[in-house]
Amino acid sequence: MRQFIIRRILYSIVTLGILSATIFLIVRLTGDPVALMAEASARPEDLDRIRHQWGLDRSWPVQYVTFMQNAFRGELGKSFNYRLPVSELYFQRLPNSLTLGLAATLISLLIGVPAGIISAVKVNTAWDNVAKGVALLGLSIPGFWLGLVLILVFSVWLRWLPTSGAGDWRHVIMPALALGWYFAASMLRLTRSSMLEVLGSEYIKLARLKGLPDVVVIALHAFKNALIPVFTLAGVNMVVMINAAVIIEVIFAWPGIGRLLYEGIFQRDFPLVQGVVIMAGFMIVGINLVVDILYAFIDPRIRLTR
Amino acid sequence: MARIAAQTTVAPGRTGSRLRAVVKGARDAPLVAIVILGGLILVALFADLIAPHDPTLPVKGANVFDPPFWMEGGSATTPLGTDFLGRDILSRLIYGARVSLIVGLMGTLVAGSIGTALGIASGYVGGWVDQIIMRVTDAWLALPAIVFAIFLAAMVGPSMWNIVVILGAVYWTRYARVIRGEVLTLREREFVKLAEIAGASRWRVIKRHILPNVMNTATVLASLTVGVVIIAEASLSFLGVGVPPPEPAWGLMLSEARPTLMAGQWWLTVFPGACILLIVLATQLFGDWLRVRLDPQLRNL
Amino acid sequence: MRRPRFEARRALRLLAVALILISVGSATSQLSSPAGAAAKGKIVLAWHAGFASRWLDPQEHDGTATPDNFLTALHDALVKNQGTQLYDHPGLAERFTIAADAKSATFTLRKGIKFHNGEPVTPQDVKFSYENYRGAKADVFKKKTERVEIVDDRTIRFVFKEPFLDFATLFGTANVAAPGWVVPEKYYKQVGADGFKQKPIGAGPYKLLHLEPGVKIEMEAFDGYYRPVNVKQLVMISVPEPATRVAMLERGEADIIYFVPGELINKVGKLPGVTLAPVLSGSFFLEFPGFQDPKNPFHDKRVREAVSLAIDRRAINQAETAGMGKPTGNWINPDVQYAIEWPEFERNVDKARQLLREAGYPNGFNVDWVTPLPSFYSRGERVIAQLREIGIRGRLQTMERGIFLQRLQGGLKDWPGVQIILHGARIGGSWSFWYEGHFKCGGFNSRDRICVKDLDGKFDQYERSINPTERKKLAEEIQRGILENYYLVPVFRHAFVNAIGPRVVAQKWQDVFPTITTGYAYPWEDLKVKE
Repeated sequence: MRQFIIRRILYSIVTLGILSATIFLIVRLTGDPVALMAEASARPEDLDRIRHQWGLDRSWPVQYVTFMQNAFRGELGKSFNYRLPVSELYFQRLPNSLTLGLAATLISLLIGVPAGIISAVKVNTAWDNVAKGVALLGLSIPGFWLGLVLILVFSVWLRWLPTSGAGDWRHVIMPALALGWYFAASMLRLTRSSMLEVLGSEYIKLARLKGLPDVVVIALHAFKNALIPVFTLAGVNMVVMINAAVIIEVIFAWPGIGRLLYEGIFQRDFPLVQGVVIMAGFMIVGINLVVDILYAFIDPRIRLTR
Repeated sequence: MARIAAQTTVAPGRTGSRLRAVVKGARDAPLVAIVILGGLILVALFADLIAPHDPTLPVKGANVFDPPFWMEGGSATTPLGTDFLGRDILSRLIYGARVSLIVGLMGTLVAGSIGTALGIASGYVGGWVDQIIMRVTDAWLALPAIVFAIFLAAMVGPSMWNIVVILGAVYWTRYARVIRGEVLTLREREFVKLAEIAGASRWRVIKRHILPNVMNTATVLASLTVGVVIIAEASLSFLGVGVPPPEPAWGLMLSEARPTLMAGQWWLTVFPGACILLIVLATQLFGDWLRVRLDPQLRNL
Repeated sequence: MRRPRFEARRALRLLAVALILISVGSATSQLSSPAGAAAKGKIVLAWHAGFASRWLDPQEHDGTATPDNFLTALHDALVKNQGTQLYDHPGLAERFTIAADAKSATFTLRKGIKFHNGEPVTPQDVKFSYENYRGAKADVFKKKTERVEIVDDRTIRFVFKEPFLDFATLFGTANVAAPGWVVPEKYYKQVGADGFKQKPIGAGPYKLLHLEPGVKIEMEAFDGYYRPVNVKQLVMISVPEPATRVAMLERGEADIIYFVPGELINKVGKLPGVTLAPVLSGSFFLEFPGFQDPKNPFHDKRVREAVSLAIDRRAINQAETAGMGKPTGNWINPDVQYAIEWPEFERNVDKARQLLREAGYPNGFNVDWVTPLPSFYSRGERVIAQLREIGIRGRLQTMERGIFLQRLQGGLKDWPGVQIILHGARIGGSWSFWYEGHFKCGGFNSRDRICVKDLDGKFDQYERSINPTERKKLAEEIQRGILENYYLVPVFRHAFVNAIGPRVVAQKWQDVFPTITTGYAYPWEDLKVKE
């Protein structure tokens, strides 16, 4: 077990190393950011001065080494645009992104799981087709469109909810719905197929033969087993959502990490982009590590995998 | 000796038996999906003949934001209305089929090829090759796709084929993991082991035994990815790095028409949205059917 | 005899009480200044982009027409652009004089002005702000200034090495440079440049309550300001999505929104109680990189003129800004020094075709790329469609803003072949800044793509000249030269269409947007909310 944990930790470190090198290269391959940071009347000397000030005139390997050295000390650099340490900006925005991700995951579960169960229990009936139709809608509607329609209907026409920004639960509902809708569809499909599999299993057939009512069968037995893969997916999705919520954050002016990253990219705010990607990567890799180890506890066979 | 090994194995999923499975199931083929996909392909191929106007130029005599012909102010020359430049929506939808199909299918093909290749390499060769590939996959998954997409687009310039490459580069990780898992199981199967003992080179084993067997999974994955890729094109357009105007692409049309949602010109978003819905529906139905036909074990994908 | 004495004593007592009351009253009214007493209400502004922290620090003004939106709320300058005055509206300085030989400028500060932390604004702070200024045009100020003299406790004199004719426009236009915007020396040094941008302290009508970087700026009326501030809370929120801004306006979550996109102008105009504010803003014009090459079709003046004749400026204006822009003649805005007025260009497609035939292109020709300023792609597409009518066939090139700026910097080598660039710019202060940036050989945007020798020569003459009459004459000659030769083809001056919500007091939109040199709603202290 210990070997397994050590191996996994090593893997995580290698992954983070690859990630940091990749993002480091990517931001630099788009050319010189200084033109975007200088004033409209700057001359080459000014541009050089800014370049030197931010250390951009040194060779890439030197810059990378310096960056990694600082990263280990927890200093991920200072944002060009906001003049704040990147880590500070990241942690300022993280709670908002987590809130949104959590809410969206909850919505995806609340919509997807019951619909999937109904669909599986009443397989191949009208209910099933309705559920499949709902899933299809989720998969084929882009989030930004749904977000704008929600604003139009619930904020402008019905006046029930605020349009944008962070705040109380009323501010979270629409962005969470727009973000979670897609994942609800995949939850639905997974729940459905998982339930179908369990419902067709020998164990359930026996329970039915014994004369237990359907509801009990479903609630006690099928439900539990069918949902393990579903919750795994939910966990993975939540992490993906935190990173993929850019569009929703822009539409709803939600102060999250996605928007921070997006604006940083267009401003060529190197340290910000690097720092945010590394921190987000750290979080994802960390969560994966914890999940892997938890699984190894639950299922000893996994400890033997490479 | 290799020849003997090849002849005596009964390898499930060899090309022949896969086709047989598909053909056998043709009776409950998803008619809807085939009709839609077939129709879209025809439309894309014959766009020049079908489309009433040039999709990139304003229609002479039409105004901007003309509504569809059944509404007041609409006209039959621009049956589905015009956009903010006065271009005919129907023509743009027709030509847009081309873009969506190319981006969707080619993007999936690129992603699938990269992912399958890496998955096979990782699963079959094993060792540190496997480790490196898996770590890269992990790192790639942790990298936010938009960062990658925006920077790539900035570097090579936005164009339809670049979008194909970008989408391929973002979505290959899905394949790599799953294919690797498949290959790991396959490796232990008798017919593979026999081939190895018989002295077949690695390449030969991969070509004749591994690859055909993972194609099932890859195909099913592909059919499910097409929809995702097409939606991703719309997202990239929103971010400003999608298929560049004036090329008509459904995702771009949807993104460009965002302000008009508030202004009440619903036809600018509903029609492209409906097209996207149709193609995703078709690919999903097709993918579901394929999955059931080709390998029932994959139901949990 | 007793009565008069009694009356007198009573009168005296009353007089004494009255005197006491008056003096107490005037003392308290001096303690509470005009602002603060009546400040109430809240205005929310939905800003159309992100927030850069350097915009809160005048010392690092980036030379664009953006920081002034924020500087005018938190800070104040000796003189500034306000209302119809281009650069010399009194601010912290109640009066100023420029010496006849233009070798010095003297400013007198108002009495009793303070920073948000209660410290008085002193000439020492002014000197520090000027000498420590590192933003746009800092090199010009440093080069030309000999010294900064503190004459007395309210007077500062800037002494120049040579006649500095552009001093006033450079110094006083908030969307050009900001050495005249005064920051507290002690505080600035104490927290440093980066710390200052997180918690700026200035002498402006509003002081910072809370800054959420990139998201929201919350400000409160500063009751030590020398003018009355009407609205107590001013909040600026970053809302990049235009549809969301409009939704906020509709729902009353925002009182002023910037940049309503063309498609939504009509709808917003019809909302109850909402006033559209179509502020004339940046100018859009066409450039022909590489036209000096004899093999380039645009080398021939007739071809460039044909382009100008083919463009339907009114149609572009109508489609892009619901007709609220202005198809003007000059590519330089009329709100800068020495800008000339030029009649609207003619549209004559037949004449354009004729000219092309004369120039040897009876069937037109192909243009490799037409590149508009990102992300104004629709304008580029309209231009392409209009040029197609006379046979000039071009393709739209889109690119990300960062790449566009980099390519501009790269010069001619990044624009090979036959190309057209649709620029958009808003530059304040003087016509010469337009020339310097977008036309001159080596300019920040123009680099080596234009380089018309005789005009550049005249421009050098202009810069060296110390005679205002001669300067004006040269300025007009150069601008005429550009327009008559179609080196640049102006398209239109677009309207930065904003919207004012029902809660803001506005008889007409100019009440909220009175400053003609900007598209933003300052002076902020003059905004009022309805009861």
